[in-house]
Amino acid sequence: MTTTVPISEPAPAATPAPAARVVDAVKLYGAGDTRVRALDGVSVDFPAGRFTAIMGPSGSGKSTLMHCAAGLDTLTSGSAFIGDTDISALDDRRLTLLRRSRIGFVFQSFNLLPTLTVAENITLPLDLAGERPDREWLDTLVDTVGLRDRLHHRPGELSGGQQQRVAVARAFAGSPDVVFADEPTGNLDSRSGQEVLRLLGRTVRQTARTVVMVTHDPVAAAHADEVVFLADGRLVDRMPDPTAERVLDRFKSFAPHPSRRR
Amino acid sequence: MNGTRASVRLSISSLRAHKRRFAGTFVAVLLGVAFLTGTLVMGDTLRASFDTMFTNANAGTDAVVRGADVITVAGETRGTRQPVSTALVKRIERTPGVAAAAPDIQGAGQLIGADGKPIGGQGPPTLAGNWIDDPELNPYRLAAGRAPAAPGEVVINRGAADRGGLRIGDTTVLRTPDPVHVRIVGLATFGGQDGMGQVTYTAMTQADAEKYLTPKPGEASAIQVRAGPGTGQRELVDALRPVLPKGVEAVTGQAAAAENRDMISGAFLGLFTTLLLVFSGIVLLVATFSIHNTFAIVVAQRTRENALLRALGAARRQVVVATLVEATAVAVIASAAGLAGGIGIAAGLQALFPAVGFPFPDGSLVIGAVSLLLPLAVGVLVCLGSALLPAVRAGRTAPLAVLRESAVDDSGASRPRAVTGLVLLVASVGAALGGTLAPSVWLSAAGAVAALAAFVILGPVAATYAVRTLGAPLGRLRGVTGGLARRNALRSPRRTASTATALMIGVAVVSLFTVFGASLKATMNRTVDRSFAGDVAISAPAFGAGGSGLSPRLAPAVGRLPQVATAVGLGKGVAEVDGAGRALTVTDPAALGRVFDLGRVDGSLTGFGTNGIAVSAAEAAERGLRPGSPVRLTFTDGARQDFTVRAVYDRPELAGDYVITRRAWAPHRAQDSDSLIAVSFAPGVSTADGRAAVAKTAAAYGNPDVQTRGEYAESSAGAIDMMLTLVYALLALAVLIALLGIANTLTLALHERTRELGLLRAVGQTRSQLRSMVRWESVLVAAFGTAGGLLLGGFLGWVLVEASAGDTAVAFDLPPLRLLAVALVGIAAGALAGLRPARRAARLDVLRAIAAQ
Repeated sequence: MTTTVPISEPAPAATPAPAARVVDAVKLYGAGDTRVRALDGVSVDFPAGRFTAIMGPSGSGKSTLMHCAAGLDTLTSGSAFIGDTDISALDDRRLTLLRRSRIGFVFQSFNLLPTLTVAENITLPLDLAGERPDREWLDTLVDTVGLRDRLHHRPGELSGGQQQRVAVARAFAGSPDVVFADEPTGNLDSRSGQEVLRLLGRTVRQTARTVVMVTHDPVAAAHADEVVFLADGRLVDRMPDPTAERVLDRFKSFAPHPSRRR
Repeated sequence: MNGTRASVRLSISSLRAHKRRFAGTFVAVLLGVAFLTGTLVMGDTLRASFDTMFTNANAGTDAVVRGADVITVAGETRGTRQPVSTALVKRIERTPGVAAAAPDIQGAGQLIGADGKPIGGQGPPTLAGNWIDDPELNPYRLAAGRAPAAPGEVVINRGAADRGGLRIGDTTVLRTPDPVHVRIVGLATFGGQDGMGQVTYTAMTQADAEKYLTPKPGEASAIQVRAGPGTGQRELVDALRPVLPKGVEAVTGQAAAAENRDMISGAFLGLFTTLLLVFSGIVLLVATFSIHNTFAIVVAQRTRENALLRALGAARRQVVVATLVEATAVAVIASAAGLAGGIGIAAGLQALFPAVGFPFPDGSLVIGAVSLLLPLAVGVLVCLGSALLPAVRAGRTAPLAVLRESAVDDSGASRPRAVTGLVLLVASVGAALGGTLAPSVWLSAAGAVAALAAFVILGPVAATYAVRTLGAPLGRLRGVTGGLARRNALRSPRRTASTATALMIGVAVVSLFTVFGASLKATMNRTVDRSFAGDVAISAPAFGAGGSGLSPRLAPAVGRLPQVATAVGLGKGVAEVDGAGRALTVTDPAALGRVFDLGRVDGSLTGFGTNGIAVSAAEAAERGLRPGSPVRLTFTDGARQDFTVRAVYDRPELAGDYVITRRAWAPHRAQDSDSLIAVSFAPGVSTADGRAAVAKTAAAYGNPDVQTRGEYAESSAGAIDMMLTLVYALLALAVLIALLGIANTLTLALHERTRELGLLRAVGQTRSQLRSMVRWESVLVAAFGTAGGLLLGGFLGWVLVEASAGDTAVAFDLPPLRLLAVALVGIAAGALAGLRPARRAARLDVLRAIAAQ
């Protein structure tokens, strides 16, 4: 594969241009009889400045889609773009550099390094890149997540909800093109989960950031601007301005196939 | 019993699943056991070979007649005996039951090789004697040529001929120590070998031997006797006893051979095997810490698993047993492999020794039960002992721990630990100081052990501060990568400390020897500096028992040179003073005072005659002697003589404790030789000119080395460097095991941190940043261990130097360059140990790492 697009090229300014997208994405796992088609020709755009949720039952391929879109995993065929950069053409090193400068992550759990303080965890991607953080932006972030009095604590001294809020702050710290969140509320009680979701939504709307979130929780999905439904590795529906009830109704219509997990 | 079976099944399945985790433990046990086995097997094999050799060589000698009195001086392997008269031979031959008797004359004689350099002399003795024609009585057999018949003809052992490039028909020089021109007419073997180990042997005619090797003709070191048919060795000795004069004894040939063998075994093999056993001990100690650490981490990582077992109803005992069974399995397999490895090492050395010129006697390897069972037992015990604490800890796992997320462990830096460690440290310093002030080896040893224990206990407490300090520049130098490495090294002080402890002990022993060696050298230098007032020294290479000393005629010859003001030869003698064997310095006391600085001298160094003696202040104080005091000396020939103390001097370092004149010693000596000639030049003679003149004269006397003061000090210390090199080579193994320990711990710790590594990679850490982070963590742990080892080794070195000093003043020296080199090696080794874990960690798949449990 050859790289034709330099990774440092800025994202196009035009509003409709997607922050991230996948085209004809196919992902196969295993071989022979045990071969599983996790993504079966998915094409989807994630518009800039929007909060998109990817929903689907277990084994629908939603996590795989996110991992491939975020450059954590590679597609079997098809391509994935961050802005105009075709990330399927990048080697490990370029991919890593792209991740740290243009992508933010929030995982389901274990988002923070136990040896670093909250402040150090937030600036970790910037520190790894050897970049000086934008103080003003950091201050805004810290206030948004409401952890100013916890900056010098260790993650072990925070509650689960607080830890996820630190993770959100870290994901946005480097002003990435897009933040991917993988079941960010999966390990939290509903009140802490709500806080984290509101935080994500607020950050997108107030600062025009892009978030792509994978979830199987209709209540969580309702916080997004748009929900993308996946089933059996295919894109089956899109729903703008979702509510929990509508998402749940739509969701019930896909019966999970126990034989095609993953 | 069913419960135990379940435990065993559990541990076997766990072993199978985590073979990798135990690789480090396995290698540590294997190396330790192999080293120990190799040492034991080689010791046994050498001993058995020497046994066979001596038994074969002396098989024909049924009795040995020799002087009854023996004077043994501390530090010498063999006592000095009075010679016997060769006239006895006739009387013995007439005794019923005797088939043959022959005088045996033994002395020192160093051959000069074809290249003009002396053969041997660097340890094993260089012997000369008379060729005994009765082949049954002669331990040597002619392998080529013929026996010496005319004056100047000699037979030499084949090993010496090979090393010196000498052949039958060649003429060369034998230093006895006067140079004797000899012609080689035959080559001999000893017990079927090219020689008795590295010992060189030159046999002359009896007349020549009496002329060059005994003080007066008609004397021999011993008489060898062969029994007639039907007479046993005991009966022969009983028959001989009545015909022997007073002061002469007869012992059986077997007893004499056993004495010879024990001398070689005791002096050479004993030292050799003890040294190797000590190093096996160090290697195993280092291995113990490595193994303990592995098990501790494995148990910690299995907390959830063990808690689940406990929650499901496993008894505490079952969990403990499961862990111990695992340890036993690893121990038995590794020890068995170690046994095989050790036997392989011994076999390899047996093949290697002859190739480097050391005649390792033939014969198959002797593998005794002890050589097999002891290493096996030690290997299993070390492994089980190391696993015991972690196993008990595993048993204590609360069932609730299933639910707990494992976080950063900062236990280990507890207050009781700090207090215990500090108390021990203070106690060790106190004991060591006490041991220095009131010389007591036991107190010093207690101090050393306490210091080691204190360092091990304080490790986790010190780890936090030390790593923080050592790692401080890292954050600035390597940015966030360095900072992360530092945090990781700090996250479990106990683990960091126990990982580093193995390396600390290795480095401590290395620095201990480095400091000790440097101090010995410094002492030697200072001694020469302070006590040697001459310009050049002629010294016989006097390391070990080799060499033949310097000709007693050399000192007068040098003294006659116009460039030389004073040349004084120092010889060695022995006598008993108040029943204890003492070394005497035989010289011209008045001249000695001009080339040596003896410090303060009470009395006068002149007019000693044949009954004057000078005594060192320390010895005089001990025996209550003053100038004018009488002192009685007993010589090897049984003669007792009263001496009068003429002088008491302060510095015995070069002059020894007792000084008598040549004339006083002459009646009692065997072979006359000097071991050192001190020369001072006439005013206005440059060192170069004087040295050239002296060297020219010395050339006619076997060409011994002429050394300036500095060279003399250095050559005296040469043996120390040789010893240090050997020690470093042996300790390399201990350091290697410590490094395997670091690598293993790091691999296990990284396994524990898989999700962290995944996260770091996800948020943008490049592979090379990750590798560098792991390597720096390894370097930090190694630096901590190295720093601790240098401190501990320095302290132990000081204790050892002070303890070994006794009364004599010693110089304590910390060689900065060598210690710096030790530190750099330790740190570089840490970087090396981190290479593999770093590579493995960098290969992690990001997604799988994040998803890992």
